[in-house]
Amino acid sequence: MTTTSDATGRPRRALICGVGGQDGAYLASFLLAKGYEVVGTSRDAASAQHGGLKQLGIDGRVRVVSMATNDFRSVLQTLRRTNPDEIYNLAGQTSVGLSFDQPVEAIESIAIGVLNLLEAIRFVERPIAFYNAGSSECFGDTGGKPANEETPFRPRSPYAVAKACAHNLVANYREAYRMQACTGILFNHESPLRPERFVTQKVVRAASRIARGSDETLMLGNIDIHRDWGWAPEYVEVMWSMLQMDQAQDLVIATGRSVSLQYFVERTFAHFGLDWREHVRSDASLLRPSDIHYGAADPSRAWQQLGWKSKHDVDEVIAKMSVAARERIAQNLLRQ
Amino acid sequence: MTSPKVALITGVTGQDGAYLAELLLDKGYVVHGVKRRASLFNTDRIDHLYQDPHVDHPRFVLHYGDLTDSTNLIRIIQQVQPDEIYNLAAMSHVAVSFETPEYTANADGIGTLRILEAIRILGLEKKTRFYQASTSELYGLVQEVPQTEKTPFYPRSPYAVAKLYGYWITVNYREAYGLYACNGILFNHESPLRGETFVTRKITRAMARIALGLQDCLYLGNLSALRDWGHAKDYVEMQWLMLQQQHPEDFVIATGVQYSVRQFVEMAATELGIRLRFSGEGEAEIATVVSVEGDRAHVQPGQVVVRVDPRYYRPTEVETLLGDPSKAKAKLGWTPKIGLAELVKEMVASDYDAARRDNLVKSAGFQAYDYNE
Repeated sequence: MTTTSDATGRPRRALICGVGGQDGAYLASFLLAKGYEVVGTSRDAASAQHGGLKQLGIDGRVRVVSMATNDFRSVLQTLRRTNPDEIYNLAGQTSVGLSFDQPVEAIESIAIGVLNLLEAIRFVERPIAFYNAGSSECFGDTGGKPANEETPFRPRSPYAVAKACAHNLVANYREAYRMQACTGILFNHESPLRPERFVTQKVVRAASRIARGSDETLMLGNIDIHRDWGWAPEYVEVMWSMLQMDQAQDLVIATGRSVSLQYFVERTFAHFGLDWREHVRSDASLLRPSDIHYGAADPSRAWQQLGWKSKHDVDEVIAKMSVAARERIAQNLLRQ
Repeated sequence: MTSPKVALITGVTGQDGAYLAELLLDKGYVVHGVKRRASLFNTDRIDHLYQDPHVDHPRFVLHYGDLTDSTNLIRIIQQVQPDEIYNLAAMSHVAVSFETPEYTANADGIGTLRILEAIRILGLEKKTRFYQASTSELYGLVQEVPQTEKTPFYPRSPYAVAKLYGYWITVNYREAYGLYACNGILFNHESPLRGETFVTRKITRAMARIALGLQDCLYLGNLSALRDWGHAKDYVEMQWLMLQQQHPEDFVIATGVQYSVRQFVEMAATELGIRLRFSGEGEAEIATVVSVEGDRAHVQPGQVVVRVDPRYYRPTEVETLLGDPSKAKAKLGWTPKIGLAELVKEMVASDYDAARRDNLVKSAGFQAYDYNE
């Protein structure tokens, strides 16, 4: 049983790298509720406060410092100044599509970033537990066979290749230097904090605007792709659980249910009382140079090891995101 | 008459670079090589191929370059307009990669990406074919025996992790942009040109020097490590073949036969007429001279010539590697011609000559460099 303070009563301290994003904000909120002291990092601390932290109403309770994970000095300095017990690395490029245009940025922010964190932890010689945000993109096309922790990687984008590299580095440092370090191989996880460049939010927001009278047409790439979409706020809880295990290990985190993008679109538009076929077009320019057709997960080990199972499936994700999008529009109208 | 094909080799000053440059020149290519600037001369492996840059239309040209410098690579590739690029440059030492993990990732991982991007940026996707030197170290903690093109990877060092990035990004650029790009997953390949800090060369060199009294003892790490060793000369032939096919594909290049480091030591000693006996276990294991035949080795029975130094153990070891080259045989008709016995013979002969030269220099009162690690 882990307590959130040490013998001297000092609360446990977590450092969240990439606190400006969706997962960073939810994780910060979760850890604060657990009694942790939370420090967050962002390449630009000033702008991170305005993102997810503010939307969750915790921007005043998380100290945000500037750090670039691809710069070793910056990483080491941050570790020395903040003295964390746990580090959650959620920083790095997050978009598969963008990685085809910025492949070097992808590997530097993702893999070199992880390497710098691992080396800095070795350097400060304190037992810091390290969580790394892995990605289901590493598996590539899983076909009909759900991916588990034993499934070989077959990455299909510069983003996925970089994530696979980071994953392997974490495993190697755990084995070579006995570090408490692990990667959560998270399948897609969504929330109202997702930016619109992610397809789920793009669909939900478009449907909410169309329901309010917008005459726009929603342009999508391939709507036949299948994904396992889960609920981000419950995924951040697993990140914490993984660091409380006696021996760190990598785990697949997912709902276990994959549906097509068409299903997601259909359900979302139905939620707003719309027929998706009247508002959606497929646009070849949105197709990626190489894409994953089918992504499916087998999260049974997380259940065996942590007793964790997702409570919200894709239908609830759609419902919750749609409610949030509707409220957002209502609030914007109020402000006008 | 058609103009000769143009090849660009990164890492041309290394073992494979030298053999490949020679092979391609023999085939009538114009060969451009990229080498890093260094304060010391680093071209001894290719000096025999050197051509005075002042002659007209030289067929072997060297450029200064570095895989960590994007603009440099773009400029060289723009000037050379190669038909084929062989990316052999890398920080290629497994043990050193634990000391310099970031540099390794930069040169071996991002370096590969930089070349692929240069090909795209220069619009050479249709013209330039790309060979990536991948490695059996990708298999690391092996998931099946022997290893084929379908065996999952489990890298065990920063070197292997960086090389795995290079492997996947090559596959991705082939699939995403239709580049003719492929990986040769080469198992260990050795020769007299192998770097002196790699275990095979370290062994043959030390045995030759011990035989002539220039050195007392050879210190090694994991003697039980099993490897599939081939001759670099055979393997560069395959690198070229892989770029001459209808479609780009990845291939395992190996002999399919496996020996331990301990056996390699015994074979090297036998070449010099020294019979060894290994005794003890783990860090206490030693090899003692049992008998000496012929006049090449001046050692005494009972002399301990090999000891274990745990300094050479790695934080995570790769215990066994064994390649299955049947795809290379079936699709490209390739089989290795040189077996391990012949390889060891050639390496020992070369190192014995070098040791004799050092001995002569010393006996004449001059200093011979030991080049200790």
